[in-house]
Amino acid sequence: MRLNDCDPSFKHEIARQPGGEGIKTCFACAACTARCPVGSLKPEYDPRRLLRLAILGRREEVLSSPLIWLCCSCQNCSEVCPQDVRCTDVLTAIKNLAAAAGYAPPSGQAMARQLAAHGRLLEVGEFENDKRAELGLPPVSEQPGDYQALLGLKPEAPRPAGEGA
Amino acid sequence: MADAGRHPNITLLTNSQVTAASGYVGNFNIKVLKKARMVVEGQCTACGDCVKVCPVVVPDEFNVGLSSRRAIYQPFPQAVPSAYIIDGQQCLGHEPIVCGKCMEACQKKCIDFNMSDEELELKVGTIVVATGVDVYDPTVLDEYGYTRHENVLTSLELERLISSGGPSQGQVIRLSDRAVPQSVAFIQCVGSRSLKRGNPYCSNICCMNTIKSTLMLKEHYPEMEVKVFYIDIRAFGKGFEDLFRRSKAAGVRYIRGIPGEIQEDPQTRGLVLTVDNTATNALETHRADMVVLAVGMHPPEQMKVIQEMLALQKSPDGFYLEAHPKLQPVDSATRGVFFAGCAEGPKDIKESVTQASAAAARAMRLMTPGKLRVEAITAEVDPETCTICGICGKVCPYQAIAVKAKGGKPAFVNAAACMGCGTCAAECPAHAITMHHFTDGQINAQIDATLEDDPQGRIPIFACNWCSYAGADFAGVARLPYPPNTRLIRTMCSGRVSEDFIWRAFSQGAPVVLLSGCHFGDCHYINANHWTDKRVKRIWRKMEKLGLRPERLQLEWISAAEGMRFAQVMQRMEELRAGVTPEEIAQTKVILAQAGLPGEKAPPAKQAAG
Repeated sequence: MRLNDCDPSFKHEIARQPGGEGIKTCFACAACTARCPVGSLKPEYDPRRLLRLAILGRREEVLSSPLIWLCCSCQNCSEVCPQDVRCTDVLTAIKNLAAAAGYAPPSGQAMARQLAAHGRLLEVGEFENDKRAELGLPPVSEQPGDYQALLGLKPEAPRPAGEGA
Repeated sequence: MADAGRHPNITLLTNSQVTAASGYVGNFNIKVLKKARMVVEGQCTACGDCVKVCPVVVPDEFNVGLSSRRAIYQPFPQAVPSAYIIDGQQCLGHEPIVCGKCMEACQKKCIDFNMSDEELELKVGTIVVATGVDVYDPTVLDEYGYTRHENVLTSLELERLISSGGPSQGQVIRLSDRAVPQSVAFIQCVGSRSLKRGNPYCSNICCMNTIKSTLMLKEHYPEMEVKVFYIDIRAFGKGFEDLFRRSKAAGVRYIRGIPGEIQEDPQTRGLVLTVDNTATNALETHRADMVVLAVGMHPPEQMKVIQEMLALQKSPDGFYLEAHPKLQPVDSATRGVFFAGCAEGPKDIKESVTQASAAAARAMRLMTPGKLRVEAITAEVDPETCTICGICGKVCPYQAIAVKAKGGKPAFVNAAACMGCGTCAAECPAHAITMHHFTDGQINAQIDATLEDDPQGRIPIFACNWCSYAGADFAGVARLPYPPNTRLIRTMCSGRVSEDFIWRAFSQGAPVVLLSGCHFGDCHYINANHWTDKRVKRIWRKMEKLGLRPERLQLEWISAAEGMRFAQVMQRMEELRAGVTPEEIAQTKVILAQAGLPGEKAPPAKQAAG
């Protein structure tokens, strides 16, 4: 590893992300990795190492790594961390940066497309609408317009009659 | 300790509690509650006959509960004075005849159940505070399972086990099966260096204590496998690195990485530790028959009792704050009170002895001449003008002013206790207090001289002697450019700058005024700058009411090391100054004259108009 290949501003960039503030206080005690359930199944996954690489400024190496997407957000690492780094949140910040840089894994991208097209990840079918009818709730139809209007992505679509709430 | 007990000039008061303290250097009055021992000290020969017959069995505190003691006991074999003591909470008593077995057994007849607590009043010249520390309780660190796994011990428990006088006569045994463990693992920094659970600071002794324990284990049991899990080994003292090297040479494994969790093997009751070895970058599983948590130390709860009695300060870590971290490390801010040992911060034995010797020498230096030379910068109250309102007594950080509000005698400043901050003089509504060497007249003359010609171009600055004035000095020495039209007026403390000085500066045509002092917690007069802060906020409110822009009075905390900051603040002041027009200054003069500010040095009746 050459120092010239490192980007010292990378850790500041992570620290500016919501949840990424803790990265600079890590003193590599390794309690996070020792407690990590993912690491115990997949030895290559080592949150301490990922954080160290990020602090050293190995931007491309960190953002392109498929390992950052393995974090299961169980927060065990945050619990044992003496320095209050909040490793899970830092990794989420790193994941956001990776997605912005175009490194999101195919499955994640597919989910994002699904969400954009339908406003939900799971299809609402007859089964769900029958259950809703039993509880006296109006049926739900595929209508991505609702959430897009909520997010200000497009003007509010006129609601079809009969679907009150 | 036995030497101290025998020394003719040392009186040991054990089993005693300080209940009140008052006074000042050379004349402290201390009240001590000497609790009843129920055994006559001079007569008891510590033969132990009484212990044999005592029927009450309770856990032994000295052995951290690993053994038991009786209700009549000696805390530990070398305890001074060498006499037994009855634990009043546990003893069955003797009347009406319940037990009294010890009385029958004692040949010297030195057990006296009629003994009562004694209240002693001591007159002392100086005080050394050596309140010690408490051991961190690792219960909250659930991942180590201290409460779940029997074979997880604290370093203090191991210390008792390995001691030849301890509960197992020096045999290191597991609590679950009393077998000698084949492998022992140490975990460092338990409760230390943690921003979240435990203490943020390094406890200073645990690394070396662990290294010493590993060497002892290796000496007693050469075959034993010993591992130490650490973040950093801090072997920084004389001979420490050598000891660390010896420990490694003896075969102790040092593994950099803190285990995330300790699990127990239900069959063997052994422990399984998962750790990320940062040297090999591999996730490893280690087994150990016994795990020792190297626990840190923290200030004891009762510290605040003494703190309140002697007007001491605490640093953010909870230990007492010394008068100066480098130049007065054993002095407290209150004159005549010194610190020794862990009261001031975590320390090992050597450092504690060093500090205790220094504290004793510092105390001696004060006491030996029989007289105390104090700085001439002290406050003095004019009993004629004093209205006995009690404000000065309230604001004095050193409790140096005796005054009873409502009736009573006029305020009186104790020159031995006064350190000369001048807060009382600034707050006195009757202008009855003269602050020698920093009198109202002297400071007013400086304000007038500062603004004599071209007042609009000047920036008067009130700077405290210790931090802000030194900060300005530092800016100069470091050759940092700052506007040349600033004019410094030095006071000992920012607390000296009264409202009237500010009004005077504005009424003389000052466009802006800066008041600067030490940062909170750094004030060289304990907390006098808190009064500065309150006062400035009060002035800002008044300025708003009068129709003056409060921005024209600025308050900044600048330390002696912040030359750069001083220069920056001055740049900002210059920008503010440039924004004040001559019309605004003229209007300010009119407004202040109408409001009668600054108030004249006169009796309070005239003051009320202001």
